[in-house]
Amino acid sequence: MAPSGTQQILLSPPELHFLSSSLSQTPPIRPDLRSATQFRPLVAETNVLPSTNGSARVCFSDGTEAVAGVKLELERSPPSRSISSTGTDTRNEEVRSTNEFRTTLVQGSDAWLEVSIEIPGFRDDESLPMFLAAMLSEALLANGNVQDKLWINDRWHWKLYIDILSLSPPLSYPLPLLSLTTHMALLSTALPRLKSDPKDDPLFDDDWAAAVPLFPRAASGVYAVRPPITLLVITIGDNIIFDPTKEELAVANGVVAVSVAPQLTTVAAPAETSLELVAIRFVDPPSRLTPAGILNSRNPATAAGVAASTSTTQQTPSVHGRSGAGQGQNAVWSPPCGGLNRKLLAKIMVAILQTDGVAFQILEALAAVEIR
Amino acid sequence: MASLKRPAPTDGNGPTLSSKVYIRATRLGKVQKIVREVYLRKDIPCSSKLCTKCLANAPRDSFGKAVSFVLSATPSATKCYPNGHYTVPDTNAFINAMDVFEAGTAFFDVIVLQTVLEEVRNHSIPLYHRLVSLSKNEDKRFYVFFNDFRQDTHVVRDHGETINDRNDRAVRSATKWYANHLADVVMARSRCPSIVMISDDNDNLRKAKVEGVDAQSLADYVSELEDSERLLDMISQAKTPQSLRGQHLYPDYYSQSKIQTGLNNGTLHQGTFSVSPYNYLEGTVFVSAFDRPLLILGRENGNRAVAGDFVAIELLPKAEWKAPSTKLLEEDNVNKNDNPEADDNEAIVTEHERRLLQEEAKKVHGKSKEGNPQPTARVVGIIKRNWRQYVGHIDKDSVKSSAKYSRSQQTVFLIPMDKRIPKIRVRTRMAKDLTGKRIVVAMDAWEQDSRFPIGHFIKSLGELEAKGAETEALLMEFDVQYRPFPKAVLDCLPSEGHDWVVPADPQDPGWRGRRDLRDLLVCSIDPPGCVDIDDALHAKKLPNGNFEIGVHIADVSNFVKPNNAMDAEAAARGTTVYLVDKRIDMLPMLLGTDLCSLKPYVERFAFSVIWEVTPNAAIVRADFTKSVIRSREAFSYEAAQKRIDDKSQKDELTDGMRTLLVLSKKLKQKRMNAGALNLASPEVRVETESETSDPVDVKTKQLLDTNSLVEEFMLLANISVATRVHQSFPQTALLRRHAAPPKTNFEELANQLKVKMGMDLKVDSSKALADSLDTCVDPQKPFINTLVRIMATRCMMSAEYFSAGTQAEPEFRHYGLASEIYTHFTSPIRRYADLMVHRQLAAAIDYELPDSSIHSRNKLEAICKNINVRHRNAQMAGRASVEYYVGQALKGRVIDEEGYVMRVFSNGCVVFVPRFGIEGLIRVRDMAEPEPESTFDNEDYSLTLSGSRKAKIELFQQVKVRISDEAEESTGKRKVRMDLL
Repeated sequence: MAPSGTQQILLSPPELHFLSSSLSQTPPIRPDLRSATQFRPLVAETNVLPSTNGSARVCFSDGTEAVAGVKLELERSPPSRSISSTGTDTRNEEVRSTNEFRTTLVQGSDAWLEVSIEIPGFRDDESLPMFLAAMLSEALLANGNVQDKLWINDRWHWKLYIDILSLSPPLSYPLPLLSLTTHMALLSTALPRLKSDPKDDPLFDDDWAAAVPLFPRAASGVYAVRPPITLLVITIGDNIIFDPTKEELAVANGVVAVSVAPQLTTVAAPAETSLELVAIRFVDPPSRLTPAGILNSRNPATAAGVAASTSTTQQTPSVHGRSGAGQGQNAVWSPPCGGLNRKLLAKIMVAILQTDGVAFQILEALAAVEIR
Repeated sequence: MASLKRPAPTDGNGPTLSSKVYIRATRLGKVQKIVREVYLRKDIPCSSKLCTKCLANAPRDSFGKAVSFVLSATPSATKCYPNGHYTVPDTNAFINAMDVFEAGTAFFDVIVLQTVLEEVRNHSIPLYHRLVSLSKNEDKRFYVFFNDFRQDTHVVRDHGETINDRNDRAVRSATKWYANHLADVVMARSRCPSIVMISDDNDNLRKAKVEGVDAQSLADYVSELEDSERLLDMISQAKTPQSLRGQHLYPDYYSQSKIQTGLNNGTLHQGTFSVSPYNYLEGTVFVSAFDRPLLILGRENGNRAVAGDFVAIELLPKAEWKAPSTKLLEEDNVNKNDNPEADDNEAIVTEHERRLLQEEAKKVHGKSKEGNPQPTARVVGIIKRNWRQYVGHIDKDSVKSSAKYSRSQQTVFLIPMDKRIPKIRVRTRMAKDLTGKRIVVAMDAWEQDSRFPIGHFIKSLGELEAKGAETEALLMEFDVQYRPFPKAVLDCLPSEGHDWVVPADPQDPGWRGRRDLRDLLVCSIDPPGCVDIDDALHAKKLPNGNFEIGVHIADVSNFVKPNNAMDAEAAARGTTVYLVDKRIDMLPMLLGTDLCSLKPYVERFAFSVIWEVTPNAAIVRADFTKSVIRSREAFSYEAAQKRIDDKSQKDELTDGMRTLLVLSKKLKQKRMNAGALNLASPEVRVETESETSDPVDVKTKQLLDTNSLVEEFMLLANISVATRVHQSFPQTALLRRHAAPPKTNFEELANQLKVKMGMDLKVDSSKALADSLDTCVDPQKPFINTLVRIMATRCMMSAEYFSAGTQAEPEFRHYGLASEIYTHFTSPIRRYADLMVHRQLAAAIDYELPDSSIHSRNKLEAICKNINVRHRNAQMAGRASVEYYVGQALKGRVIDEEGYVMRVFSNGCVVFVPRFGIEGLIRVRDMAEPEPESTFDNEDYSLTLSGSRKAKIELFQQVKVRISDEAEESTGKRKVRMDLL
């Protein structure tokens, strides 16, 4: 998935070389002196759109903003769903075989979620918005938490529409911003309270103040279930770096989007929130589109290069380099190629999924945002 | 970083913007979150004539005028509030006692808060409309104060506060604000009126006391007014739901969602609940899914549904289906000894009733083939109550004699005039005064633990049997608007009044589009003493041997323009109601009897239909035009017949009339050939003494040739106009249809005829029916044919008005007239439908531009619904008036007459007396002393008596009856009594 359309990286080869070599150090030296797992501060607020069931706005400190609105509409379920309602066993096996955490008796359908993304400067049928929407909905639907909450009875269900509006042109890959915004919007979503018998055609309480949150909190403030978040991680040299800026993305060897969802094993022990890995996607690093650079002295196009080429012995410049460091002597910068190192992937997983790891901290920070 | 949310703008005193969030479920099932922003103002006036500050700030219109203030400067005082007071009623006060607020002697200077108005609207739309019309009434001085829009009185719901508590707080805060505001403004200048909150909610009253707001409960407040007894009686008796006493309860209703689900998936049905006039325990509901109406037998299955309510029903299992009752059951007789006071041990279904029902069930199971059980159901929910005000009289037996002179409140039974409504419990202090009078009550509620519904008294109409009271009672029962026309309506009449004439100058705009037909020899033929002449006819021989026939109808649409007050009043009334001695007009008399009426010797505007017909009455051409005519003569039916028959009269006018007669006969023959039905209705004419209009004699109407003459041409005109209007407005033409009756309606009658008379009734088509009706003749009993026709009429569906777009073309048929398409055009003075058709025809012939009201589908559907109801009610009122007068004519007399048995029950029969056109019930127990034994044969339709009287009563049998009138002991009401001789 080529991140086409992202803004062109206007860094010169020496700048790219500089960035890449400093990020490849152990420990990596980032331009803004953050540590590898340190995130930039962000601003989040909820319930910014009064006519939606839930909404949120998140601003990153690089100036990118996104607003997400969640609307729920009542929809009739086609009759075939109730055919297989003979027993819980058959139904659990029916759709999902992978997830042993899905112990709920009812199952929602993936068709009940619709995500639409609007990014300024892009048409909605272009690849960036479409792939972003697909990745976000994949993450939301993966462990079934979201769609199971949409089931009302055999004949009726809610359809969840998430509309995400990016308020600024994407400076870097916008996936984490949109994902965090969606997460916040879903946490603030409320459903009208059902006042009819669950088996009957649904009738709802007119009072909005009586609305039930989609992701309820226990009295202690702990969430039983939460929607997933997606984080962007880059690999460069032997390092992994979280929350990359535009420049860091420009020199990354590999870019991974990891989606995790918090899973509460028991409500009684809130500290036991475990994280479930929900999706991993590999993004084509923008560094592949960077212009390669060679020393002027080696460049046949420049005067110095011409002179050099006639005087010194021919040395085939190595255009292909595995990592930023250890470039051929003739090349200042060449776009990286090749896949992701398995060891690095494992390192990413550990960093994200460990208790008190990166993801955990982010989730706690988001949960602390007041929802009015 | 700035928040996207707008902060609420504030000015010194508080926020100027607020918002309301709620959820709305649309009809299609969508559930939407609605956010409404409220802009808070500071200039909404308090509208008291004492307040100068608000007058200075009040919003002004473009002329600089402010709306005038409503609340009086010198409001009335009471014992507790000697300085005068304004009242602020709470929602429950309006809901429980709307009649008291409407009473003319109390409740002036009332402040209706916006919060209260909206709560009333959510509770009941009819009550809301009544409240709105009260606020428009200048004499009552009700002011609607928008407290939710005024910044000082706007109340925001606290977190965790219920909506009701918030509304109560809003009422208290508005009352307090008013009190403070007036105290500020009035100062020491004059008396400052107190502001009193009236509520029935104890919690609200308690909190008001704590906050220092003047408050009283409704009962306390009313008891201090003048005429308090009458007013206290008018408070609704519906109590807030308490724990239900008594063990015997009606079954619970299903919850709203359960009913909705059931209706959507077809397990429950909905329809209007009707009660059989012969058996008060038997109800029926017509559901389109079943070809026969579903039966609802017994009080428990009826589950508190009242005739007219729209109910949800559930079919009982097949094993519990029963056949319709063969017994006569009247509530008066069965439940004579009921105790009006509600008892804890009161049974919903008494032992007596239970036994009666069980006898029925036994009979059903005993039979092998006849008495087939029909689908039976029970009521599981009331979707919409259709309660109105009921006229009736107090059951003398239910009044405690010990309370003769005391003023204590007691509960009595009210027996409604309409036999299908159950007895109503009413609490009143004036029981002795009200006995023997006709009174009007409203029903409030029917609790689960109470055998009878409860209601409250509204007003008294006068002594029973007094003509004025009876007439008013009749009109109220059938919801006829009989008050005189208000000023707004009379203002729409032409200013010249009776001096209006057709403009002399043909260039006058009144002549635009009109043909001058003043030279035609037009005449009218109407019942004797008719002053509102709708129609006139003429006939002329053409040089080519054909005839020119014209039907000229009064041009009412020229005087009644769409969408003014007179049009609205006429649309609401729907039709003129004809009682024996009174006529309730749809249009003011100036139009009906003078300007529109085609009086003889004067020029009048008309709407003419002119045909060219061959001597064989085949139509060559039809023309529609507005015109001016001058009628030469206005005949009565008899006078016209005489003139035609008189061979010495040879003038052109008489020749024309003879032509019309000949052609009408030919037209009639054609119609009969096509299958038109000739159904007799028992038309009776009451002769009254001229001075007092006391009835002297009752005669059946005679039909002359001239009746038929007019009828034929009116039918022809209606059909031609229907075709023309439908051609121009295929979606919105206002037409009249008569649906073909389903075969099941005739099953009973066909069976009866087969068994008793050996006659075959074919019902495949109207022609088949007409022909077989013609063959149902018994040479010895000539009246049988008429009787059969009368009974056949009752099997028919009713004809109805409809808008062409709502039905498919085959459904336009008028079964009774055997016509493909039909409408009403010829009587615009007395029917609103005809007026609408006039407007549509005028647009169709391009006389004038069509007004939006004759095009709009929604409006037309609403109009059709209303005029159908009014038409039926007018018919029923007319019949009831004739019945009353027949009863009066019989007062003190005893007449022996011939009658025919129309229906046989196991404990009695119904006899029809053709001379008076009345039906009477004769019970077995009244036929002899002691009650003879009786055996009822349902298949043979006969009742065999033995023991103290031996006789066999069969259906269609000719019998002699003695008709007298007697007063009922308990009520003093006079009833017609028939005895078998």
